Amino acid sequence: MLKKPIGWDGKTLMEMLNESEKFIKETKHYYGIDKLALKEKDPFNYERAYASLRGALVSSRETALHISASPIVKEIGELCFALYTPEGDSIVVSTGILVHVHTMSEAIKFMIRENYEDDPGINPGEVFLNNDPQEGNVHTTDVQTIIPIFWRDELIGWAGGVTHQIDAGGITPGHDLVAAVSRFDDGAYYTCRKIGSNDKIWKDHMINAKRAVRTPMYWELDEKCRLAGDLMIRDALFDFIEREGIDYYKRFIREAIEEGRRIVQERVKERLIPGRYRAASFFDVPFKEEAWQPRAKMDKITNEPIEIIVKEDGTLFLTFDGASGPGPNPMNCGIGAMEGGQWVLLTQILIYGDKVNDGAYFAVEKEYPKGTWCNPGDPYLSYQSPWGNLIPAYTGMMKAISYGLFSRGYREEVVPGYGFTGDAIQGGGIYSSGPLKGERWMLSTFEISGQGLGASAVKDGLDWGYAMWNPESDLGDVETWELFQGGIPYLARKIKPNTAGHGKYRGGANYAGIAMIAYSKDVDFFGAREGLVFHGAGGMHGGYPHATGYRLYAKNTNMKEIIENQKEYPLWDPDPEHGEFEKLLKGEIVRKAHCSIYPVLLENYDLVHFAMSGGPGYGDPLERKLELIKKDLDDGIYSNDKILSIYGVVANYDEIKGEWIIDEKATETRKNELRNERKEKSLPFNEYWENEKKKITEDKLSEPVKRMYSESLNLSIKWAKEFREFWKFPEDFQMEVK
Amino acid sequence: MLETNNKKIKAIALDTGGTMTDSFIIDEKGAFSVGKAMTTPEEESEGILNSIADSLGQWNTILEDSGKSVEALVYSGTAMLNKLLERKGNSNIGVIVNAGFEDTHRLGRALQCWMWLDYSGRLHAREHEHPEPLIPRKQFKGVRGRINFWGEELIPLYRDETTKAVEELLDMGVESICVCLLCSYMNPRHEKQVARIAKKVMKKKNKDIPIILSCEHNPVRGETPRLNSLIIEQYAAEPSREQMIRISERLKEKGVGALLRILTSYGGTISPYHKSLITTMVSGPIGGMIGTKFLAELYGIKNLVSSDVGGTSFDVGLTMEKYVPTKWESSLGRFILNIPMIALDSIGAGTGMYVRYNKISGRLEFGPESAGYLIGVCNEKSGVETVTMTDCSLILGYLNPDYFLGGKVPLNKDRAYKYIKEQLANPLNTDPYRTARGALDLIEINMKNHLNGMIQGLGFRPENYTLISFGGAGPLHVAGYTKDLKFENILIPEWAAAFSAFGCACAEHSYRHEKSVDLIITPDGKMDDAVCMMLNATWSQLKKDISNEFKKEGRDPNEMEFRPSLRIQYLGILDDLEVQSPFENVKIEDLNVLTNKYNDLFEEIFRRGSKSPELGYHITKAVGTGVVPVPKPTLPEHELKSEKPSEEASKGSRDLFWGGGWHEGLLWEMGLLNAGNIVDGPAVIEAPATTLLVPPGFRVKLDKHRIFHMEV
Repeated sequence: MLKKPIGWDGKTLMEMLNESEKFIKETKHYYGIDKLALKEKDPFNYERAYASLRGALVSSRETALHISASPIVKEIGELCFALYTPEGDSIVVSTGILVHVHTMSEAIKFMIRENYEDDPGINPGEVFLNNDPQEGNVHTTDVQTIIPIFWRDELIGWAGGVTHQIDAGGITPGHDLVAAVSRFDDGAYYTCRKIGSNDKIWKDHMINAKRAVRTPMYWELDEKCRLAGDLMIRDALFDFIEREGIDYYKRFIREAIEEGRRIVQERVKERLIPGRYRAASFFDVPFKEEAWQPRAKMDKITNEPIEIIVKEDGTLFLTFDGASGPGPNPMNCGIGAMEGGQWVLLTQILIYGDKVNDGAYFAVEKEYPKGTWCNPGDPYLSYQSPWGNLIPAYTGMMKAISYGLFSRGYREEVVPGYGFTGDAIQGGGIYSSGPLKGERWMLSTFEISGQGLGASAVKDGLDWGYAMWNPESDLGDVETWELFQGGIPYLARKIKPNTAGHGKYRGGANYAGIAMIAYSKDVDFFGAREGLVFHGAGGMHGGYPHATGYRLYAKNTNMKEIIENQKEYPLWDPDPEHGEFEKLLKGEIVRKAHCSIYPVLLENYDLVHFAMSGGPGYGDPLERKLELIKKDLDDGIYSNDKILSIYGVVANYDEIKGEWIIDEKATETRKNELRNERKEKSLPFNEYWENEKKKITEDKLSEPVKRMYSESLNLSIKWAKEFREFWKFPEDFQMEVK
Repeated sequence: MLETNNKKIKAIALDTGGTMTDSFIIDEKGAFSVGKAMTTPEEESEGILNSIADSLGQWNTILEDSGKSVEALVYSGTAMLNKLLERKGNSNIGVIVNAGFEDTHRLGRALQCWMWLDYSGRLHAREHEHPEPLIPRKQFKGVRGRINFWGEELIPLYRDETTKAVEELLDMGVESICVCLLCSYMNPRHEKQVARIAKKVMKKKNKDIPIILSCEHNPVRGETPRLNSLIIEQYAAEPSREQMIRISERLKEKGVGALLRILTSYGGTISPYHKSLITTMVSGPIGGMIGTKFLAELYGIKNLVSSDVGGTSFDVGLTMEKYVPTKWESSLGRFILNIPMIALDSIGAGTGMYVRYNKISGRLEFGPESAGYLIGVCNEKSGVETVTMTDCSLILGYLNPDYFLGGKVPLNKDRAYKYIKEQLANPLNTDPYRTARGALDLIEINMKNHLNGMIQGLGFRPENYTLISFGGAGPLHVAGYTKDLKFENILIPEWAAAFSAFGCACAEHSYRHEKSVDLIITPDGKMDDAVCMMLNATWSQLKKDISNEFKKEGRDPNEMEFRPSLRIQYLGILDDLEVQSPFENVKIEDLNVLTNKYNDLFEEIFRRGSKSPELGYHITKAVGTGVVPVPKPTLPEHELKSEKPSEEASKGSRDLFWGGGWHEGLLWEMGLLNAGNIVDGPAVIEAPATTLLVPPGFRVKLDKHRIFHMEV
């Protein structure tokens, strides 16, 4: 006997999804809704309904946080929940790591398209798990629990919750791997898998899952937490329907999404100016030296050009046309990750009202060119650290939108970009002494969620406090992190000079940490961050990009001796050219210009240094107010030599007062010098263009740059045409790579 | 009223706000009077004496005549908090931290940039901002050395660096030195070494300033909140100590017999001589919770939720099973602290909140700013030009324009109507009354979500709870924000406007000390022995410390009741709950009594969360509370009269807008209603300081303690 469809009015979920997509395509309105009838009829009841649903989501998350386990989830709040329509479109969302709201939507749509309704079946009380980046996720360490919600015999929605795990059982310990080159290195994969019924997770799944990862306790507690939150959402939804009626609910959810879509349109009309906005961004994958696997031994730069077209009706078109190709590295992105990144940034710079849902998704038309890093279409690649490409790529979106905001006079809203959420140091080891001897510890601090944000056109950027993927960012306390990674105690967490992008308004600044291996054996250590390229095309209107990352650690040190003799050990690396490690330590000091490294084996008394990102600056540094520069010096944001060479400010340290004093007269002279130097250096555009072109024609570009352009030229006819026209190359021009 | 001249006062509760000082005085019969005077920040005792005089004047008596019998004298105030918020504290503080951690206070925690913002502010990256540090960077000195997370020395303290750091700070002329080293809550050795070295250096330099150690001040994990707490204590709380002592002395001079006690964030009261006053900085909404607990005991109610509606905020707190939960992560002026605090949650939803139309979204938006004491556009003289919640309540007929604050502030209803029409109703294309009611509905649903979120967040349903509504505007909105929630009962004390002050007078005299311990109870029980030993030793130390505090203020420590408790969680999770221990000296075989209590509490609070006892348990903190008896106010019992209110209480009628239409509402004078009276809605019960709205379909009954019970 055929099963009765579980969609509305006798339809299957697939029919509902097709219908929904047809409507949006044909009418441009969500579900063809051209009139917000409920809202118009009784706006107050409509708003009340929305507020009560959103309230339920926020409080479900708050509660789930208390019963969750992993330090990342609790300490940093790496958790969020959303309620979806039967077709998988988000209606209301909680706070938290919002990047995932749209990702789960893709997972639900995948289940619908694969006709899960028929096989394996979708029934009340069942639980689904997903972490497949190809099907609506970012990377395997983001784990989603999704439950269907039924009212009588119809599926009326889905509740979904996602947490970020410390480990998913990949090729090395860690949550953002560096050494993965294919799907088989990414750890445990759950592609929209049914894992429970009767509101309970099956035991066989739990046994399996716990054995598939290095942190089974956290895995289990986080699974419990996500399911608990989902069930609370379901309870709240039942209350809602009992109060408002099922018919109201059915109409309401569609209007709410259509309204969400319109809000974006209205906001765009208010804040931006129609036109074509473009920005460039890059990421480096320096694995020629690093990779273990022969085919991964390659230095790559990813080309991440973004173009946004603001249309007169307030809708947006976004494309990564010209993007370079994927690679044998974990930085490839699935569409879920791309959508998630875009969505979370829109909610931070344009549509940060309280009515946030997938309406925003429908208001933006997008293009992720097939075969590029942002849509490779190959499930067997590694997708374990898509953030590597994703984070830099969307700095371009911030910058492009900022030009619109600036043009419209919203100077205070301008954000030229943000820092990469790194240095993401990871790894782990086993305690070889102490009360936890024999236990495994994982290096997984999520202090990476406190990065520098770019300056605006009226003030400095936010220091150590921004993560593009979680608006509620935090650093956590060292004393808390050490509970979980006690084998690598901190020796310092200190403001690092010269991390902030220079400008009339400087970008956010940041700090660096130093930690020492102790009480441990078998310690793996690695990290990831941009090192050889700037991203976000850095800075705006004369502002500079923020400093890039680099790698510094010391092996076989004499730290034991230093400690015994109460000699100085390094607490920071304020001037990499004259390093403190080199000055104070004996041993093998490893300093690399690139930052992303494959795991290295460390031993007790080895030291590591890790620097967080600053944010890009805005405006000409010569225009920065002197009192702000004095504060920068007093607070250790910039060193005196940079103040002199970039800002043209002469300052002297007053030992007695313990503060910097600016010499205004000498400053004026110095600034004039800098202005003259600039004049001397400047060229007419044609000359500059000729010089740059020569780099191509005379084969002066580095191999990774050539590889990047070669890939872009081959992946997009449109982009290639524009590139060739700009540089006046013949139509068959190619970038030759050995 | 000459007969009241020989009044005997039992309790005085003082609340010193930024502008006004309130005094709440209770006599031996339980009658109370409320006095007001301008706050005098330079010399707070002035304002306090004036306020008490105002209050006693209503009884035709003066403090000298009636103050001897005072048994409870409780102070709460915002002076210290204002020092912090206005950055007017003492920043001449030196801080010694581990070398490499000189920036801990400046870095703060990123959550300090956004935790104070609403949903949309949290999303909007550009609104995030760190609080300005309290102390210049140069006053932080680092000394090398490290204790690890289980308390072992990883790197010995560098003594020469320590000497140098102290010398440099002394040369700068700092007035105190705070010491906060990593993991000192597990092993205080390095901090104590710093103190010893500092004393030597001071002797050599012939200086003597206080050295405050975080291991003694607040030995709790989390270096950022621990350091913040230490700094704020010196920056804002300590400079107020003299003021507190002076208040105490001046009241003594006037013949007040009782000792002045200051209300703390955890609901107890402490003497102005206590070593740490920082817990007294956030006492604002705490009084209401203590009053709530008092009523919970009086009425034998297990689960009571308190809701306090003021001019700018809506505060909600819970008592569960007669127990008021505390949280230890709190914040002050955007700095996170680790002082224990009654779990209260506030949202910006007070009656002064502005209501605006947003033309982009086509919706009404609220706040976040508030007209506060300026009330709204209806208060013509205030200069307010934006509609507030109060304006909405006025045109709907809920408020009496001639009786606001007893008629002290005349309200202009026509002006309110005009502004609501122009600013809200016209753009929405609806009628002003509907608009006003709609606006209140939306705010009240926010309040309702907040209430419901807190209750459900703990795994309960409103059906398990009795709600109490207070604050000047609580009675006006209580019907709106509880509608559909099906509370077991709804209580509205007649003295809703002064309920917080009443609560202050009910506070216990107690000290709460806590210490991080990190004890692990493994499933196989192999460490139980050590766990018991450490736990008992820590409680014993806490008890001794608290006894000393009582001794210092001249109380006999033998009078003290010691209440040991612990904070515990499943091993691996990061959120602990507080469990009261029936034992001061726990034996191995008793440990399961404690873990079972935790399991029960966990299940009760997080019904949806599965218990995970198979992982073992982690005792994070030992907590000790010492309580000495103090007299508390009693609520007088009134004789129950007829259900029908007397004619005398009737004030006629007024049209009220509710549920989409107009209703004729009867008006009553609150003070003239008798215990036992029942008022059916639609009705409005007016008092000078508050207004109780009884919408159609609702009814209230006044009980023998003069508390209204609202039913639907």
